Amino acid sequence: MRSLDWFVLIGSLVSIVAYGLYRSRGSNTVDRYLLAGRTMPWYAMALSIMATQASAITFISTTGQSYVDGMRFVQFYFGLPIAMVVISATVVPVFHRAKVYTAYEYLENRFDAKTRALASIIFLCQRGLSAGLTIYAPALVLSVILGWPERATTLLMGATVVTYTVLGGIKAVTWSDVQQMLVIFFGLVVALITVIVLLPHSVSFGDAVFLAGAAGRLNAVTTRFGWNDQFNIWSGLLGGTFLFLAYFGCDQSQVQRYLTGRSIAQSRLGLLFNAIAKIPMQFFILFIGAMVFVFYLFIQPPVLFQPTELARIQASDAYAPVARQYSRAFEERRHAAMALVAAHHNGDAAAEQRGIAQYHAAQKEIDGARAQASNLVEQTGGPRGFSDTNYIFLSFVTRYLPAGIVGLVIAVIFAATMSASSGEINSLATVTVVDLYRRHVRRGASDHHYVLASRWATLFWGAYAVLFAGWGKRLGSLIVAVNAVGSLFYGSLLGCFVLAFGFRRVRGTAAFIGMLAGEAAIFSAFLFSSISWLWYNLLGCAVVVGTALAITYFAPAASGRADTRQPE
Amino acid sequence: MPQPPPVPDDPPPFLGTWRRVYATVLIYLCLIIAAAYWFTRAYR
Repeated sequence: MRSLDWFVLIGSLVSIVAYGLYRSRGSNTVDRYLLAGRTMPWYAMALSIMATQASAITFISTTGQSYVDGMRFVQFYFGLPIAMVVISATVVPVFHRAKVYTAYEYLENRFDAKTRALASIIFLCQRGLSAGLTIYAPALVLSVILGWPERATTLLMGATVVTYTVLGGIKAVTWSDVQQMLVIFFGLVVALITVIVLLPHSVSFGDAVFLAGAAGRLNAVTTRFGWNDQFNIWSGLLGGTFLFLAYFGCDQSQVQRYLTGRSIAQSRLGLLFNAIAKIPMQFFILFIGAMVFVFYLFIQPPVLFQPTELARIQASDAYAPVARQYSRAFEERRHAAMALVAAHHNGDAAAEQRGIAQYHAAQKEIDGARAQASNLVEQTGGPRGFSDTNYIFLSFVTRYLPAGIVGLVIAVIFAATMSASSGEINSLATVTVVDLYRRHVRRGASDHHYVLASRWATLFWGAYAVLFAGWGKRLGSLIVAVNAVGSLFYGSLLGCFVLAFGFRRVRGTAAFIGMLAGEAAIFSAFLFSSISWLWYNLLGCAVVVGTALAITYFAPAASGRADTRQPE
Repeated sequence: MPQPPPVPDDPPPFLGTWRRVYATVLIYLCLIIAAAYWFTRAYR
């Protein structure tokens, strides 16, 4: 990084955090600290919802995902607008009218205390694991750019995020998110323009899009169905809808965003803005990854994008033949790409077909060389199941983007991390204090006591996230890992809320047993089948609802009664 | 279960009713999927 990059990076981050803390003045009651006094306008909620969801993982991993697998990951978001409409129409008014702090507080009103406690614990398990991954991603950035150990950078990022979240509460989180999303939108546009400008002069933007398509990187919609195929239009529309219903309807990290709204209408508008903007935004990010792929058709990329592991295998005797095969295949692929562009210009269909065949043959050679290099990583003592997907975009940014733009892209990644992580930690602390501590441990204490407890809970969850972040590098593509971890828990939560909203006869014990059965089904699918994680939400939800209904209708005596304890 | 006091449910700032807003969002989804499908076919 050059001086200008440091200036842009530090200036962006300091101004974002300072603005957030400035707007959070007066957050000295539980209502203000956790829900901003329910005064937020729709645009702040909208950007905060997007910022919480778009972590640094979005930029680091989604672009890499597009580089290796094309743009079909965008289908994962096709279910999001459907989920937003359903939640706006059903969940938002119910939560607002119930005046709850958390989604799980509503479950006690509807079922009983044990169901609320179980849902809270499931959320804490799931979001606690994801929070670690969210912090790990920027630690990765620092370790690549500055050569610092990942453990130290994880600790540094975690400490910064926790400090800022503990001090400011949700108002600081939300207003920082607004700033962060503006930086993110600007940074994305600049990154794409820069990639296109860096292409060889003989390759126009139209040629680049043509090449990306010929290379199979513009496969935004795939219609072939498969249970173990993660991304196709069916898994996106069905599995994605259920995942986002669970994420936005049952995950406190998102529910808390729209509970801060000053009215039902403001909360709905915040969610519906997300429904409109999310797919184009993800398309845009994936398209950047596809353009980075085209750039590397003409400039030889490293065999592996992870510099530390690359340096390790370069010291091995087995590396030289792999490197030779890789360089030879790259030259063949570059010639094929140039021939393909020329054939396209001349309108020569036969030459185009020959060029595509040559391209695919060379690409197969390159994939083979990269696979051998990955095996070498394991053979020389590196991590098992090595994947460098998360390093592709960063490697490109630090090598080829001009001074100032590098700092801006890194600021985007940092901003995204801070927004996502602070939102997660804030929601974890809220559930810990409101649903467990205030409900089961210390009832009737002063407002000041609970604000203090919330700050301590924030500190605890921040430390937990930092410790878990050490696992990140073992989980392959981060964007997939985050959603996969979430899917282990979301289905049960979603099933419980479906029971709460849709089945009036179902009581607490039936819902409680249903949730346990749902979790058992999801973990069985995870451990003993190859079903894609996108289906876990549908499976878990169906098992919860089916089990609870079976208990309600066939064993009504065991279905439970309303809890007679009064909620706080 | 005791019913909480009613909270006003304001109309949307455009299109008159929330039902129309939801329908617009779903039509938008159909259009964006159609556009993405065309994009995939055009550059396959």
